[in-house]
Amino acid sequence: MPRHYDLCARVQNGFAARLRRIAVPDTKMNLAISNVLYKEGFIASVNRGDHVQPDTTYVPTTPDNIATRRLWLELKYNNDEPVLKKMSAVSKPSKKIVMKVEELQNLAAGNRSQFIKGLQPGEIAILTTNYGVLELRDALEKGAGGEVLCRAI
Amino acid sequence: MASPALWQRCIAASALASTSRNVTRTFTTTTAVAMARQRPGAQKPTVARVPGLDQPGTLHNLSEIHPLLDHYPRKTDQDGHLNLESPKLWASDPPLDDLLKNQADDDVDEASLPHGLTKDDLRKFLKRALVVKRTSNMTTAGKIPSMYALVVVGNGQGIAGYGEGKDDEVARAVRKATNRAMRNLTSFDRYDDRTIYHDIDHKFHATNIQFRSRPPGFGNRCNHYIHEICSCIGILDISAKVWGSRNPMNVIKATFEALSLKQKLPEDIARGRGKRVVDVQHTYYGANE
Repeated sequence: MPRHYDLCARVQNGFAARLRRIAVPDTKMNLAISNVLYKEGFIASVNRGDHVQPDTTYVPTTPDNIATRRLWLELKYNNDEPVLKKMSAVSKPSKKIVMKVEELQNLAAGNRSQFIKGLQPGEIAILTTNYGVLELRDALEKGAGGEVLCRAI
Repeated sequence: MASPALWQRCIAASALASTSRNVTRTFTTTTAVAMARQRPGAQKPTVARVPGLDQPGTLHNLSEIHPLLDHYPRKTDQDGHLNLESPKLWASDPPLDDLLKNQADDDVDEASLPHGLTKDDLRKFLKRALVVKRTSNMTTAGKIPSMYALVVVGNGQGIAGYGEGKDDEVARAVRKATNRAMRNLTSFDRYDDRTIYHDIDHKFHATNIQFRSRPPGFGNRCNHYIHEICSCIGILDISAKVWGSRNPMNVIKATFEALSLKQKLPEDIARGRGKRVVDVQHTYYGANE
């Protein structure tokens, strides 16, 4: 199954290539991270579809069409510049990063924590918590820590 | 020896003497002068070398330029009145330099200045000659030395620029560089008029620089070239580290590139994402003075 860093690479490359929309594997984790990106305003929409184009009407996922199922993300550009410049993985198989609330508060303040650089103005961090996949500030509101998957600016 | 006026007065004196005393003898010039000296109560003939100074008790109009009193003239406006606040114009360069001058060496044309600046504003700019080197051009005739200068100018309120100049003399090279710097002014974004908006990493040739935004009161703790540039721009709190090459010219150029190109304003980020942006520092804690 493709991990979260696969999505980071596809999204970053899609923006760099100035594509209108990109197709990523249709998995629960990819859907959850894409939802966070959509709520933060990095992408315009998240649609299910097949490997050719997004669905115009609802198509249920069955064992017959599962191989062609994709998630289509519509990318955003402003002032001749991509809205998302960089999306990189934080927790990797070589080194997993799980943070407590205090460490996350440090990150949100712009300070380094667990050898991870603090967030800059406009930067977000996506982490998986007991409440689901959330953006860092939403996780702090719920008082939840977890594995920091990726960061986007 | 004696001016024409003196001659005329002597002739007049002698003529007067001959007619008044009914003496047929004619006097020579020297005797007339001697007689004028010896005559009791006689006044020395006053001679005005410069027109306007012959009448005793009349002051010269000091607001007009006088060829004798004002040896180094000051600038005048259209009516010919002095502007005493303007600096003096010094003697001009030898004529040959006028032929060799090219447009880049001339003083800045006010119409070409950006941001609504005037020449009076430029005079108040900070000017720092950061790099002054002796270069030599190797030719078949031998080594031809030349002086190179890199000057950074800025008003301390977000407008700055740099220029390079070369000439045989240091002062002329610095002046060329200053004029070019005035031509290449750019505006820099500052958060709260004191620091940069976010951390910046920039690479220019072999020079890598990391800039870090810092809280108020921190100061400019960075490479000495970056320190001077920040004081010209008006950045008060910043931390920076130069990795790789620390060549002065490249550090200066890298700094200008990074601070002008790589800063993203929160308003632009919010506009791209379709979000509303609020400065928590200003709204909840009060703006930084």
